[in-house]
Amino acid sequence: MKKAIFTVLCLLSLPTYAVKINVKVSGMVCSMCAQGIKKKFSKIDSIKEINVNLDNKIVQLQTKDAQNITNDQINDVIKEAGYNVTNIERE
Amino acid sequence: MLKFFVGFCLFIITLRSFAHPVIYKDGFVASSLNMSSYSDNQLLYTFSPNWATGLNHWRFTRDKDNTELGLVRLNYLLWRRNREDSQANIYILTGAGVMDSEIDQKATRDAYMGGFESDWETRTLYAALKYYHFTSPALADFSMTQARIGISPFEAGFEHLQSWFMIQAMTMPKVEPKVIITPMLRFFYKNVLWEFGSSTRGDWMLNLMVHY
Repeated sequence: MKKAIFTVLCLLSLPTYAVKINVKVSGMVCSMCAQGIKKKFSKIDSIKEINVNLDNKIVQLQTKDAQNITNDQINDVIKEAGYNVTNIERE
Repeated sequence: MLKFFVGFCLFIITLRSFAHPVIYKDGFVASSLNMSSYSDNQLLYTFSPNWATGLNHWRFTRDKDNTELGLVRLNYLLWRRNREDSQANIYILTGAGVMDSEIDQKATRDAYMGGFESDWETRTLYAALKYYHFTSPALADFSMTQARIGISPFEAGFEHLQSWFMIQAMTMPKVEPKVIITPMLRFFYKNVLWEFGSSTRGDWMLNLMVHY
């Protein structure tokens, strides 16, 4: 019984909110070419919203509630789009 | 044989766009570059971050005689440098197919293309150099070189219209003058790019490119 209550409490303490991730990208100077970033991230189920900011060189991702995307997945997508990740920050 | 290629590529021509040799993985590029003296229509698929393949139709016109090529293309991204404020690329270009020539030897034969493209750009500056070499038993070997520089008066946002002033210098086989200068305007919005201009020889230019 104690184990069951403990398990439920642990599950309840997990974040159920969406995660915002700021990805700093190098080489992102052409808005037409950078459309590929948005296209590729939009195919990932856990991603709710994608915002590309060429001024700050940041791709901001927002995940769906209680979902996540790993840094490795982010790196792979950015690389396939033709760019490099220089930093990832999670809010 | 050539009619087959022309018919097969008609939908590409109607798209009227201008290709990047390799884009993002699983992306398609449809392009058309048109001047009165030549045209270059392509449909390419990037199947890996460094490789793209597709179909390419060329037309060269001299004194109302045409040379046309239908090629299967394979492009390779040899080198890329991503910096915070710039990107530079070098691509290797290859193609093999058929040439139908009304110029010189008037024949339909196998044809091959090799070359490279290189570019460097920031959000407001652009420079590119392209070289193509064509060879076929149907025609004497010929080459084409194209250099471009461009400037944008402002940095447009990701989903805003981007405008450029560009100038192109090009050498064409057996064409006078030997160097054709074409000032042009370039615009792109989201996944569509278009350019238009007029050369010092009086040739019009109209190009379009679409990424899917």
